[in-house]
Amino acid sequence: MGAAKADLEWHGSTLLYRAAAVLARTVDGPVVVVAAPGQALPELPDGVTVVEDPVEGLGPMQGLAAGLAAVADRAETAFVCSTDLPFLHPAYVRRVLRALTGDYDVALPVARGFRQPLAAAYRTRIAGLVADLLAQGNQRPGMIFKHCAVLQLDDAALLDDALLAKLDPELDSVVNVNTPEEYTAARDREPPEIIVERFGALAKGGGHRPNPVRAATVGAAAQAVGLTLDRHIVAAVNGDQVTKDGRLPLVAGDSVAFLSADAGG
Amino acid sequence: MAPGGLFGRALVVDIGDRDATGTRLELDDQVLRAYLGGVGLGTWLLHRLAPPRVDPLAPDAPLAFVFSSLVGTPLTTSAKFAVVAKSPLTGLLTDALASSQFAIAGKLTGHDAIVIRGRAAELSVLLIDGDGPRLEPAPELAGLSAAEAETQARQRFGRGWRTAAIGPAGERGVRYATISHDGRHAGRGGLGAVLGAKNIKAVLVKSATKVAVADQQGVLQAARDLRKRSFGPATAKYRELGTLANLLAFNAVSTLPTRNFTAATFEGAPKLAAEELHELRGVARNSCASCSIGCEHIYARKGGGSQRMEYENVFALGPLCGVDDPDDVFAASARCDELGIDTISAGGTIAWAMECAEKGLLDAPWLRFGDGAALLRALDEIGERRPGLGELLAHGSRRAAELVGHGSIDFAAQVKGLEMPGYEPRSLQSMALGLAVNARGADHNRSGAYEADLSGDVDRFAGGSAHVAAAVDTEDRAAVMDSMILCKFLRGVFEDPFTEWARLLALVTGWDLDADELHATARRIVRAKRAFNLREGATAADDTLPTRMLETPLELGSGRSAALSADRLRTMVSGYYVARGLDEQGRVEPADLADLLLDP
Repeated sequence: MGAAKADLEWHGSTLLYRAAAVLARTVDGPVVVVAAPGQALPELPDGVTVVEDPVEGLGPMQGLAAGLAAVADRAETAFVCSTDLPFLHPAYVRRVLRALTGDYDVALPVARGFRQPLAAAYRTRIAGLVADLLAQGNQRPGMIFKHCAVLQLDDAALLDDALLAKLDPELDSVVNVNTPEEYTAARDREPPEIIVERFGALAKGGGHRPNPVRAATVGAAAQAVGLTLDRHIVAAVNGDQVTKDGRLPLVAGDSVAFLSADAGG
Repeated sequence: MAPGGLFGRALVVDIGDRDATGTRLELDDQVLRAYLGGVGLGTWLLHRLAPPRVDPLAPDAPLAFVFSSLVGTPLTTSAKFAVVAKSPLTGLLTDALASSQFAIAGKLTGHDAIVIRGRAAELSVLLIDGDGPRLEPAPELAGLSAAEAETQARQRFGRGWRTAAIGPAGERGVRYATISHDGRHAGRGGLGAVLGAKNIKAVLVKSATKVAVADQQGVLQAARDLRKRSFGPATAKYRELGTLANLLAFNAVSTLPTRNFTAATFEGAPKLAAEELHELRGVARNSCASCSIGCEHIYARKGGGSQRMEYENVFALGPLCGVDDPDDVFAASARCDELGIDTISAGGTIAWAMECAEKGLLDAPWLRFGDGAALLRALDEIGERRPGLGELLAHGSRRAAELVGHGSIDFAAQVKGLEMPGYEPRSLQSMALGLAVNARGADHNRSGAYEADLSGDVDRFAGGSAHVAAAVDTEDRAAVMDSMILCKFLRGVFEDPFTEWARLLALVTGWDLDADELHATARRIVRAKRAFNLREGATAADDTLPTRMLETPLELGSGRSAALSADRLRTMVSGYYVARGLDEQGRVEPADLADLLLDP
């Protein structure tokens, strides 16, 4: 690829920034990035923390062990993904997390014909099991599934979720980029269609009414309606956090509200 | 010699059965500089003149109209005054600001404050001019709205008098009655009931003197500069759509309290939005006296007439009660104006009652969320204190919940007895702290901590130390603006507020103020308010939010939820105490009491 996947440019930020930000806006708990020892990471969204693999070169199993252990005291379940999923959609994350019920340890999508251990949900209690397997020389995530209760989710099961079926019908959430060509093709895709609304003094000419635009980030959405995020103008995606971060990724179905930073009486 | 812009004295009016006597209370330079005027000086006056634990509706309870050095200068938005008393709603300090020519005429009676005590034998008006106070019986004004009373008083006493009056709700002791003047209201905390308990329908003031400022040319130049800045982008929101612009924006970010705080988005919000109403109904824009912003937006009512609409009255009488018909909300707002009651407390109390009725805790099957006719009927019953529901709700949601019981206090949306404004604390957690600790109770004017939540600089769903700092900072800024007094809608035009305010005050008074001194002044005023409340029986247990806000997560438009636990709020409150230099029970440290200058 010519660069670490985490560093690959993505609409003004990086693939890693996008993945971390999508998870941060989707889940209530902590978001942790697992880095190789000494790995320099690109900038991350506020609130995202980093833990390092204790040993280099043991692949995703090591990352999984370190990540699950890092959040085990704060969360019972964790969504685990690789950094190279440029179309990961919050609806997919929610669908997979919601499937992890009862005694299951893993909700494992089998999407687009492949098992997706790096776009799956895990009980954090299996962090020890993963570490033990690793210590025994097992570096393939598939080994985990032989030792715990796994719920497999095929395309049909995933798309049972009406919202996911509407917003990511092809399950592009699990599309990853492993070659320069795949990266270029992904980068060249048309940005998702989202809805923009402007309020208060920004709403001249009916701007408060829903306005569909194509934009991959909040900054691009602002630009599409002639705004620039600054200390006077902020945004909120789907009524969630108020932000001035133009790099915040958008996905199909998002609604972005732009309002004056001096909102209030 | 008094500082520029000030007289160095207050007039204390004692009302007897049929007369009124005035006594001068000298205000020395140290006190005036320490408290500035407005809310600050009013707090000091209440410490000095209110007997400890006095019943707010007793004759002995003082009611203070307080001006400032800036009143009467050409500085934009400075024609304001504070009304300060012990609140019949909270039992604690309350202060309300209002803008009108009353401020200028009241000050130019020759006093920095007018304090009223006592009780007349019959409904009367109090007149104050250069000759002092006098009482005139006015039984013919009984039952009139404040606006009608103002008109009749002017007809009777002639031109030149400026009037502050109460509506029928104030006469009848509704605990959230307002004092009105020129269509503006000193709205929160039941000040109208305090005046009504003195049997005073209206206070009339007439200018009798002048007062010089320290640097006339400097003030004129500063006034020109401030006026120019008041036309800039920092006030565009107020100018273009008014505060009602908040409604649709707050709905979009899940912080529009709906159906008694059971939701934070309202499906009917677009029908009530300024953006829509401005196109369909907007007819006029107006300004307070001496104001160049012009935030007042007046909308046409179906069938004739017009009504001034603000975010807070639309929120409280609309989404909070589940009402989405703008004409119902317009009518309810107009009814509140006629009765002379605070729209926030009225809406908050009725929303609580609607929930009680739907849960079978109140025998009022007609009172349902979303029913505009029921809202109007409830307002009428409150205004008349009609036996049963009207009498119950006239006491506000906290007292009503205590009477109804069955855990209804858990969903009475109030703090310290004052109904909550239109800021959802679970999705604005800096504001949650501001609402919990403020001396006046749930309040968006003495704490504007929502600014931090809506700035994008803090995680508005996870209150912590950054939120504490934001709450303290905004409370300090409000303390100074409310005491000097300038309208808070100007706040955005100041790049370096404390420095710029110190300069303005220096030009007017001649004091060699700087930003550091004003920061200390802000802290003093906040502490003095707290000290008054502690004296009146408040404790750290009052610095909290209703159980609903602390135990029930809020569903957001994004599909996530926002929760504010009692533990998280307690941690923030403790952080606030530390930042304010209070002890762990929220008490003012003995070493700081001397700085409050409260000893006679």
